[in-house]
Amino acid sequence: MNWKKFFFAFIAAFGFIFLFGFLWYGKLMHGPHQEVPILWRTETDFGNHFSTLVFGHIVMAFFLTLLCARFVPAGGAGACAVMGILVALVYAGADMITFAVQPLTTKILWGWIVGVLIQFTIGGAIIGALYKAPPSNMTFVKERPR
Amino acid sequence: MKRFILAFVAAYIFIFFWGWLLNGVLLKDIYVQTPNLWRPQSEMMSLFHWIIIGQALIVFAFVMIYASGFAGGGVAAGIRLGVLLEIAAIGMRMGFYAVQPIPGKLIFFGSVSGIIEMIIVGAIVGAIYKPAVARMS
Repeated sequence: MNWKKFFFAFIAAFGFIFLFGFLWYGKLMHGPHQEVPILWRTETDFGNHFSTLVFGHIVMAFFLTLLCARFVPAGGAGACAVMGILVALVYAGADMITFAVQPLTTKILWGWIVGVLIQFTIGGAIIGALYKAPPSNMTFVKERPR
Repeated sequence: MKRFILAFVAAYIFIFFWGWLLNGVLLKDIYVQTPNLWRPQSEMMSLFHWIIIGQALIVFAFVMIYASGFAGGGVAAGIRLGVLLEIAAIGMRMGFYAVQPIPGKLIFFGSVSGIIEMIIVGAIVGAIYKPAVARMS
């Protein structure tokens, strides 16, 4: 594994996933979230737990990068975007279960599902574009002059 | 395809009963401490189909990821994928914990049981699903 490329891909994926999360869940979905204020921490309390949010995103970005770098044989943006979609489906499934047990609105549920699909598809594509492992069986043969 | 469906069904049955045992029985006392965060029992039952669809989606995505990059490695590869996906899920759980006043105990036990759950799901999928080439040889 090329650790330098891996590191750059991970940082880019983390940057995108975190920024997208802030814009989508924090700004765009602020209104729907406020329909059920009892479910959320207060501003001050959230501030005290902000490091947990950052660390959670680091963990998600790291393991998405690991999955793409080691287990997508074809590599490239397209193949890693597909891996991103599959990982997003795991999260979307978890969101559906959360919806059944917590008093969320359907607007929040669909917002979360669409958000996670966009977030991880693009996240996967970024990783695939930046991390391109060379094929392990590639050999270089100098062409003989004719 | 037959193996894919078999692996999906077996893993789904396990995940369904594990979810019930964990959330419905073992962690019941912790859920009771924060009643405001959860729907009443009757409301949960009326939305039970979302739990079934959600679990099916998780298992489907798991088997798809296994089939696309892990197949051929057997039980060990399945367990490896399970651990990877569960650690990523712990990241998501931490995100929830940062924004919702969920008891830390629930996050901890949920994550420990999640690791066990995904190891078993990985073992089931790895034992059942074999790529076509591996089955021929």
